[in-house]
Amino acid sequence: MDRYENKLIHKIEHLKEEFDETTQKLIKELKRQDKIMARSDKRQKQEYDELVRLKVELEETQKEIVFIVGTIGEYRTKELGNHVKRVASYSYLLAKYYGLSPKECELLKYASPMHDIGKVAIADSILNKPGKLTNQERAMMQTHTQIGYQLLKNSERKLLQVASIIAYQHHEKYDGTGYPQGLKQEKIHIYGRITALADVFDALGSDRVYKKAWDDEKIFELIKEERGKHFDPVLVDIFFEHLDEFLEIRDKYR
Amino acid sequence: MDKLYIKETQYTPEIILDPKGYISIKGKSYPENSFEFYTPIIQWFENYFLTQTNQKTTVDMQIIYFNSSSSKVFFDLFDMFEEYNAITPIEINWIYDKENENVIEAGEDLKEDFPNLTIRFKPTTEDSYNG
Repeated sequence: MDRYENKLIHKIEHLKEEFDETTQKLIKELKRQDKIMARSDKRQKQEYDELVRLKVELEETQKEIVFIVGTIGEYRTKELGNHVKRVASYSYLLAKYYGLSPKECELLKYASPMHDIGKVAIADSILNKPGKLTNQERAMMQTHTQIGYQLLKNSERKLLQVASIIAYQHHEKYDGTGYPQGLKQEKIHIYGRITALADVFDALGSDRVYKKAWDDEKIFELIKEERGKHFDPVLVDIFFEHLDEFLEIRDKYR
Repeated sequence: MDKLYIKETQYTPEIILDPKGYISIKGKSYPENSFEFYTPIIQWFENYFLTQTNQKTTVDMQIIYFNSSSSKVFFDLFDMFEEYNAITPIEINWIYDKENENVIEAGEDLKEDFPNLTIRFKPTTEDSYNG
């Protein structure tokens, strides 16, 4: 009986030893796992922070470059001042009240400075001619829409895609008498319809080589008259409904 | 036994396992399944330590980027190194880029857990950090 008991004790002691050893190993392993997890969490945080930083960097770089390129066109046409900035802000307002998503409003705002970029390819003699253009000169001038579109259309960047639509369609008229495609009503992309109004409103109020700035009464009269002809009637209504905000922008970027 | 060479991929490091006593793990290690990727390597080592006893072994580890399961594998690998260190002396070179804080920390964690192993820290001279 004694012998039997001893054997059992021996067995239990052996098990205890093994158990202790395994427990030690497990504790070590658990500590290791915790450390790996903590390090991994730290890396993950760094990586995500970096990702966010890069995303902002990328977006800001795009916006800045688009704006700078837009300004190049402005220099060529001697429309110095804040024409592209004002058109950008008017476009944003129109888009917002039209009901486009905040994301689209942003895109439109940042893409609109490129609307006249095709003008870089138009001869100075036409671009800055003080008098009336001949038919041939006008035809040349009008190609700036296609040129802008050609420049931008192959990009897969959303911002440049929006810019290509704007460059192509900002001289289309709601009644189909615009150029280059003579598109009508909703066949004209909303970006094109918005920029058309924003661009004309700003151009009329500014001095150009071929004309003096119009006074406000005359501008408003024309926009009303062109409701449903040159301009989308919905956008014209929005414009007059929020006129104070448009004038505020004009004052801000005078 | 045979030399084992695994080519570098976007997610896995270049691996050289030479039975003459030279080991190199170099590159990024973030495969979707690290355990699966490292199984043949662990097997090679098991075989190596059983057959090539008493041979001085040099291990160059130059990790640029790694996921957490890879670091678990590295600990397991070092467990094995420690187990066989007495009969097959191992020298580990932990090659790091000075700007890669995560890799330096990982090396320090290993050093702390394996005081009996020879682990040398060596900064890279070339500008090879791209992680």
